[in-house]
Amino acid sequence: MSSRTRAPFALVAPALVASVLSLVPVWYLFQTAFTSGFAAVVDELFQSRTLQLVLRSLLLMVTVTSASVVIGVFAAWVVARSPLRPRLLLIIAFSLSLAIPSYLAAFAWVSWIPGISGFLGAFIVLTFVCYPFVMLPVIASMDISDPMSEKVALSLGRTPFGVFRTVTLGQSRPAITGGALLVALYVLSDFGAVAAMRYEVFTWVIYGAYRAGFNPSRAAILSTVLLMAALVLTLIEARVRSTRDTFRLGSGVRRATNIQFGIPARIATITGAVLLVALGAGVPIWRAIYWTGFDSSNQVQWDVVISSIATSFGIGIVTSVVTALVALPIALLSARYRGRASQILEGSTYVAHALPGIVIAISIVYLGIRTLRPLYQEMPLLILAQVLIFLPLAVASMRSAIAMSTQSLEHVARSLGAGSMMTLLRVTIPLALPGIMAAGALSMLSSVKELPATLLLRPTGTETLATQIWKFSSVSDYASVGPFALAMILLAVVPVAVLTATTRHGVAR
Amino acid sequence: MTLSLSIRDVSHHYGDRLVLDSVNLDVPQRSITAIIGPSGVGKTTLLRLIGGFEAPDKGRIEVEGEVVAENSRLIIPPQSRGVTIVPQDGALFSHLTVGGNVAFGLKNRRSTAARARVTEVLEIVGLAQYEKHRPSQLSGGMQQRVALARALAPHPRVVLLDEPFAALDAGLREQVRDETVRALRATNATAIWVTHDQEEALSTADQVAVMLGGRMQQIANPATLYQYPISQHVAEFVGDVFVIAGTSVGAGNHVQCALGDAVPIANACPAGPVNIVVRPEQLTIVPEGAVGSVPVQIVGSKFFGHDGVIEGTLSTGERVVIRLQADQLPQVGSRVGVTTRGMLLAYTD
Amino acid sequence: MNQLQTKARVKQLIAGAMAVALIAGCSSGSSESAETSTGPLVVYSGRSEALVAELFSQFTTQTGIKLEVRYADSGELAALLITEGDASPADVYFSQDAGALGAVEDAGLLSTLPSDITNLVDSRFRSTQDRWVATSGRARVAVYNPELVSVVPNTIDDILNPMWKGKIGFAPTNASWQSFVTALRVIRGEAEAEQWLTAFKANEPVPYEKNGAVRDAVNIGEVSLGLVNHYYLYEKIAAEGADAVVAKNHYFINGDVGGLINVAGVGVLESSKNTNAANQLVKFLLSVQGQEYFGLKTFEYPLAAGVAPFSELPTIEELNPPAIDLSNLKSLAETQELLAKTGLLTK
Repeated sequence: MSSRTRAPFALVAPALVASVLSLVPVWYLFQTAFTSGFAAVVDELFQSRTLQLVLRSLLLMVTVTSASVVIGVFAAWVVARSPLRPRLLLIIAFSLSLAIPSYLAAFAWVSWIPGISGFLGAFIVLTFVCYPFVMLPVIASMDISDPMSEKVALSLGRTPFGVFRTVTLGQSRPAITGGALLVALYVLSDFGAVAAMRYEVFTWVIYGAYRAGFNPSRAAILSTVLLMAALVLTLIEARVRSTRDTFRLGSGVRRATNIQFGIPARIATITGAVLLVALGAGVPIWRAIYWTGFDSSNQVQWDVVISSIATSFGIGIVTSVVTALVALPIALLSARYRGRASQILEGSTYVAHALPGIVIAISIVYLGIRTLRPLYQEMPLLILAQVLIFLPLAVASMRSAIAMSTQSLEHVARSLGAGSMMTLLRVTIPLALPGIMAAGALSMLSSVKELPATLLLRPTGTETLATQIWKFSSVSDYASVGPFALAMILLAVVPVAVLTATTRHGVAR
Repeated sequence: MTLSLSIRDVSHHYGDRLVLDSVNLDVPQRSITAIIGPSGVGKTTLLRLIGGFEAPDKGRIEVEGEVVAENSRLIIPPQSRGVTIVPQDGALFSHLTVGGNVAFGLKNRRSTAARARVTEVLEIVGLAQYEKHRPSQLSGGMQQRVALARALAPHPRVVLLDEPFAALDAGLREQVRDETVRALRATNATAIWVTHDQEEALSTADQVAVMLGGRMQQIANPATLYQYPISQHVAEFVGDVFVIAGTSVGAGNHVQCALGDAVPIANACPAGPVNIVVRPEQLTIVPEGAVGSVPVQIVGSKFFGHDGVIEGTLSTGERVVIRLQADQLPQVGSRVGVTTRGMLLAYTD
Repeated sequence: MNQLQTKARVKQLIAGAMAVALIAGCSSGSSESAETSTGPLVVYSGRSEALVAELFSQFTTQTGIKLEVRYADSGELAALLITEGDASPADVYFSQDAGALGAVEDAGLLSTLPSDITNLVDSRFRSTQDRWVATSGRARVAVYNPELVSVVPNTIDDILNPMWKGKIGFAPTNASWQSFVTALRVIRGEAEAEQWLTAFKANEPVPYEKNGAVRDAVNIGEVSLGLVNHYYLYEKIAAEGADAVVAKNHYFINGDVGGLINVAGVGVLESSKNTNAANQLVKFLLSVQGQEYFGLKTFEYPLAAGVAPFSELPTIEELNPPAIDLSNLKSLAETQELLAKTGLLTK
């Protein structure tokens, strides 16, 4: 839409509120970092060890992001283009690894193959946890792009792989870069996997400042490094996207078809898919069953498991709905009213994603204890913290869905008497529904496994699956961890199924 | 005459590029106005301004006498103008049924009146039995008719059609076009129709506006436009022509050229060298050497079924094109005589 | 005639509705606010629920004082307390280690404990300012396999002997191991600590995930010797029976830093409006009942005067642990840097 068109106030106001909330952790960090003076900040940051750890973080970020892009695109292609079916099962199987907390996945691996710890282990675990961030948006973009153009390319003499490389990938580029940004930010902020794998990266010193140094202001100073990294990554992605964003051309209604394949290609595809599921979700699930030891005399407290499922589910649902509602105005502004201002709004929500959960949790503590005392250590504040953590996931997923629906639809609606808000409600949002549902599902998945904020901000006595797993794994009681881990994976099937059911909205096959 | 739409001195830029340059246009009520011009000439921009998706940098737009935009100010937003659009790709809402699409612009969509209107409009476009279908279940031509029904349903003040049939194949296009015109007439709609197909414009519109290079060149009814184009460019764009050199003679009502020494022209021209614009149907074939004829060497011929054109060279070497009935096409290589019919057009650059 | 006349009002309506929804969403669930002065006693516990929940419920049964316990990592709870400051809802901070207590004390958040509490505990095991007391102790030991080891090292310097090359197990990320290294730094100074760690690294110790894994490796003879806390052996004996366990504990005595006693401890928040009840809980933890609970449940050392340790353990006096102000163990960050530098922490 032309820059001359003003965004409706009803959209700008909530987006501004969300953006301000997203910047709470940033405000807290600077507030805290500079209490000990500018010199202390400089002193802390310009140490050779800091630089060395930043480099290790960057190495892990680059390798995991690259691998996640390769695997995520492959998985998306299997779902959206290959003849493998059923689709529902494929998406669920490929998304399960996203439901497994990185610390748990890492422990599953390291307890199976102790020698894997270090860079290799961290790389493997994070890649499997993260590739769905790339896969999900790419599936959506492949569903929405016209497979006819792939057939055209084939008819022009390209090999199937050539078609994939030039046409399929080209059309999915905005989705890939968006997903890659989420992966990169996640890797920068992760502590669970690198701790269990004993691969020292930058988050070690941040957690060290809390757990070993008992020094929140030192942690704040160190966290500003991650903020800077997030800022740079977000800017890079925005630049790549602004030159690449594609609006779908052609008719408003699409018909999808599949490319046929030969037997060897089929075998290779099946092998790849099976390996992916076996390593990504299979290993942790198998370890969880093994820990539970169902054949031995171990007593599983099913009532506790069930009540924890209920709590996790409840928090997850509320968090995902609120996250989706908060993300929607930002995503709409960013996709439909492009400009410096909407870019800043959107970017502000990403920055916090590079911060470890504990930093966001502590910043919400800082805000809550001072200004929202009645809500402190009550559900609303926990949900607020989770919403801030997952907002970028939701915004990214929605933005690409909105950007992909053609704008002439909105013009038609306007001409038929619908105001800009009515157009959003009656046309833009219903058409972007797959993206919106996916955003909710992603938030729900992430909420169920979220630990650091839940531990500090939950109402006393509230037990989620994540806190139960933490409780028992911290005393090495893996027999008790097993059932909760399995329940967590099982619970993940719900959001993934929602996600799957809606990603094909409006596609005639 | 009541005007549904009035555009006054509208200019618009994209960046440094002047896309519309002092455009004026009046559209009477219950008429169909076609806007034609080559692609990239600003037609779609003009529609965006009329629709209200942008405000013109300069000038004024009025809908039924009400100023809707003036000098960079969007006074009435798109949703309140009563101006509906039928885009090139139909742009049906894939999340709604056919009926839901048509009802989109109606108030109280669930009321009996609204339902009746949906049925009525769908009947006009011949799709009454598809009300419950999804857009994805319809062919391209049907989708386009649904888009038209959707635009007509709320009794708009003006309907804008943006190359509505460009995506359809030739056979289908003509049929859908005829149905569209019938539907527009049946609903007494005022329509503005952008196309780059001059035949479509001439055959359907009450008035045709020719845009070239961001300027409105000529606005007239189809016959006038065809017979009296105001410039060589307009003449070249409206209908087939060929051009030969000549000189304006006498009082400026005749020209001297390879087709004759005093051929009458429709538009007065100052004395001196001119370009003479001739339509293929203005030449008649006579036996070589007949009185008043000039010799032509036939060098090519095209057969179209109902008629055909032959190409030939004059004594000056200039090229001529002659439209003939299919059974009268002379052999390539033969020589014939040619006389002119009616009045030619002449322009001094 | 025209159905398309402006719908501008709708826009304002939606805007209003969204604003209301936002406000409602922010304020729902805020109905109950904690009344700190009359409500239950709020405990931040860095000790795990599996370990202490039962003891807490005994306290509630006996005193009628309800507890609200927030379990999390000791260090993160310390950070939480420091961030909360005076506004903290917590009354009592129960920590897995002394360092975290020291940090909260340094932030001026702990109140001075009454002398009838502090008198219960030896001055080595409480803060010099009487703002926290230890509740139980964990001695560092060498767990060894008697089938493989004839001469047990008496000091940590003995294990640098090449005869132990590749035969020592340790858990590099374990907090107690890191506390031992902190004590090494505090007692011997940075240079000597680094020297010891470098020599230790050169002896190719085998890293394990957890202390329990070190103990198991010793028991099956994968390594000969492991540096762990004393109670891991007794946990295994309790779980599997004495017959299943070959390994034995060797205690570093005579003040060797290898015999460091780490403590878990408790303090009362200065901001607590419930100091009486809070002190009651501290007293309960130091009571015979509380101390025996730790002795039996976790095989840790009771530290309140008059309560004997689990029968197979040497007494604290026999152990003669190294002299160190336990609050100084809070310099863990520097320890981790040194461990990383000497290549003992990470791969």
